[in-house]
Amino acid sequence: MSTLDIALILLAVLLVLLLGGLWIALALAVTAWVGLQFFTSTPPDVNLFQSFWGSSASWTLAALPLFIWMGEILYRTKLSEEMFKGLAPWLGWLPGRLMHVNVLACGIFGTVSGSSAATCATIAKVALPELKARGYDEKTCLGSLCGAGTLGILLPPSIIMVVYAVAAEVSILKVFIAGIIPGVLLMLLFSGYIIAWALYYPEKTPLETNTYTLREKLYLSRHLIPCLLLIVFIVWVMAAGWATATEAAAFGVLGAFGIAAASGGLSWVSFRDSLMGATRLSCMILFILGGAAFLSSCMAFTGIPKALASFVAEMNPNPYMLIAVLAMIYIVLGTALDGVSMIVLTTSIVLPMVEKAGFDLVWFGIFIVLLVEIAEVTPPLGFNLFVLQTMSGKDSTYVARASIPFFFMMVLTIALITVFPAIVTWLPEVVIRK
Amino acid sequence: MRRALDNLYAAAGVAAAVCLAGICVLMLAQAFAREAGILIRGADDISAWLCAGSAFLALGHTFRKGELIRVGLWVERLGAAARRRAEIAALLVAVLCTGYMTWAVTRFVFESWKFNEVAQGLIKIPIWIPQLSLVLGTLIFLIAVLDELVAVLRGEKPAYQLAEEARRNSGDFSEML
Repeated sequence: MSTLDIALILLAVLLVLLLGGLWIALALAVTAWVGLQFFTSTPPDVNLFQSFWGSSASWTLAALPLFIWMGEILYRTKLSEEMFKGLAPWLGWLPGRLMHVNVLACGIFGTVSGSSAATCATIAKVALPELKARGYDEKTCLGSLCGAGTLGILLPPSIIMVVYAVAAEVSILKVFIAGIIPGVLLMLLFSGYIIAWALYYPEKTPLETNTYTLREKLYLSRHLIPCLLLIVFIVWVMAAGWATATEAAAFGVLGAFGIAAASGGLSWVSFRDSLMGATRLSCMILFILGGAAFLSSCMAFTGIPKALASFVAEMNPNPYMLIAVLAMIYIVLGTALDGVSMIVLTTSIVLPMVEKAGFDLVWFGIFIVLLVEIAEVTPPLGFNLFVLQTMSGKDSTYVARASIPFFFMMVLTIALITVFPAIVTWLPEVVIRK
Repeated sequence: MRRALDNLYAAAGVAAAVCLAGICVLMLAQAFAREAGILIRGADDISAWLCAGSAFLALGHTFRKGELIRVGLWVERLGAAARRRAEIAALLVAVLCTGYMTWAVTRFVFESWKFNEVAQGLIKIPIWIPQLSLVLGTLIFLIAVLDELVAVLRGEKPAYQLAEEARRNSGDFSEML
């Protein structure tokens, strides 16, 4: 039996288990066991132990539960209300006016939170009713929240990036920093679309009645200052090499508690809920990483990734072609899988061929993160669609249709970073010289 | 029985949460101690063990809260009777899988206890002590899966499904990425 036949059998086993509703980590483990038991002479039980223990007992990975905890704490504060109050006075002059609050607030919250659904839910909770009350167009409002909510995983810290960096064995810090420029670019594209839309349909943007002096604007924004300081602090501490990602995450938790305490949102209940919520979320992710590590060890023993990489190399594809095909595959995967599973399932197979085709692994990380973002706004399994469906009472098809222009902005970003890879690779090279 | 099991999952969940908070405290202590010129020996090893502990001890609790994810595209569209059969099938495979896992990790850790293997880092303690979290975690997970299987066979809705429905109804999305 050829290696590619084995690959197809294992793929079929995995698909049946996943679609049958088996828990994802277990489905990965069962597939790995089948591969090792029937197609190699390695004992599966020793590999199982080493994969699960080795993947979780990791000092680098300890950053992940802490970043999750930081996001969980801020999710339970009044930060989003402050964000709306503080940002709104500054944006009245742009075509589209307060619609830009959606993009900017998601961008700022995305830099303290590593999750898209949480970013989307936090900002939408406040922005949706406020904009509706002022007579803004609901469809564009939903679309911009849906799209901009995904910034949570593109702007550091990002849970998806930590997972990728650990799976691909690249520096967490490099991937974090590489996400900054694409994130800002995506924000500009979102805002640019809103401006174009507002100029084309001027009647859909209500007039701004309030005018503020500079002093009033600054006074209204005072609550944003701690949050902005926290962002600057964390990025600076990591970029200057003063603390590792894990230590920076611990400072992030401390800072998040400070913000929560200052806004009066810190209580025993919110402390307990944030800690237990973070424990469950990181347990889910770490367990999937364990299952994926087990599957990767199976892959290494069967030699499937190597065979596939040379199979692809023999076809000698145009690198752009390869990237286009991979993008298509990830968009299909994203219809059924969440971001973490998408990454851990594919890295052991895809990375060898991507590397052989001459792509930088940090660049590829940002590419995957953008595709995970797209998966979050496309049906049937789009987390941001679920969030906005519940919050607006519209059905998810309506929200998905509202997000189409923003979906295209993300596709455009992917095209831009593919043609100009320096958008991704320039900043980490400048900041980290080691 | 019901209360004893629920207490077991909750206690393990709290232990996992303490591990998670422990990583934070340890990392802060390390950063401040370094500024003061003190080196905490083996802090990196301990935080790695705490990270593993928080992941494995929380398994049973997370599973029952419906936060261990799976692909719901097909299962969630089934009618009540067909869904019950699908849940039984999934839980049976899960029992086999977690049973095997529990056996494999227990055997491994038992041997490292028998041969007195010592951790390779700066802290020279027997490696089975931190690895015990994996044994206990998978064992509690196995118990939780069996618990759910029994419930579904009795005709009840599994706890993970109830928890997930309750979260959807209250608009809580904190478990999604």
